[in-house]
Amino acid sequence: MNDVASNLERLKSIKLESYTYTIEKAKIRELAIAIGDQRDSYINGEALPPTFAAVVEYWGGQSSASALLGLDVARVLHGEQEYEYLGEMNPGDEITVNAIIEDVYSKAAMTFIVMKKEFINQHNELVLISRATIIEKH
Amino acid sequence: MNIGYQFETLQKDEITHTQIVRYAGASGDFNPIHTVVPFAQKAGMDDVIAHGLMVMGFIGQAIGDWVPVKDLAKFGVRFKAITKPGEKINVTGSILDETEDRWICEAKASNEIGEVKVQAKFEVRKK
Repeated sequence: MNDVASNLERLKSIKLESYTYTIEKAKIRELAIAIGDQRDSYINGEALPPTFAAVVEYWGGQSSASALLGLDVARVLHGEQEYEYLGEMNPGDEITVNAIIEDVYSKAAMTFIVMKKEFINQHNELVLISRATIIEKH
Repeated sequence: MNIGYQFETLQKDEITHTQIVRYAGASGDFNPIHTVVPFAQKAGMDDVIAHGLMVMGFIGQAIGDWVPVKDLAKFGVRFKAITKPGEKINVTGSILDETEDRWICEAKASNEIGEVKVQAKFEVRKK
């Protein structure tokens, strides 16, 4: 097996750990101020900006995708990101994130890794699906 | 709302190092390529690069100006080019298509000379 093929096999077999994050109003406000999207509902922490899932993933997971996947951060790009909004998320909700490697493939001297994360709230409802495509240049 | 409708352009202020540091703290993405200038220079760049997710956040801000965020069903982006401090981003968008229960829309975040940084597709639930 060549290096590329063995790397793909290695990536496909990675098991990612679940984690739980409690949504805090102060983190909603902090994100809104950082983006410069200061509508009242965000500043009050009553509603979540569409990209709040990133806060759950980074602060909840505490590890970058590169570290989890054993990739060289200097050669890694975030290629695509998608969120599907299936239910409500509110401050105080305890969100458990279950992540899997959904797809791994090699194309044009690059490795593409699709990470799918399911966000489950404290009532066991699936509220959001996040899909990130991570690209590692060979 | 109708197919072909152009949403009002959102003009963002110039991105600053401070804003990027704030975004790092808010999001929890502390990759030094975004926040530490000497690290970026060692990687062969002249300055740090903004988080792609922050620019996605700008598009999220525009979407919130255009439609009720609670009606947003799907929001996906492709990161096309890096963004640096000093750049000014505009977000444009339009309605491409519709299904029985959704509007299918697109948006772009570009700098002042029209370089597309992030390309988005999003779907909005009809009432």
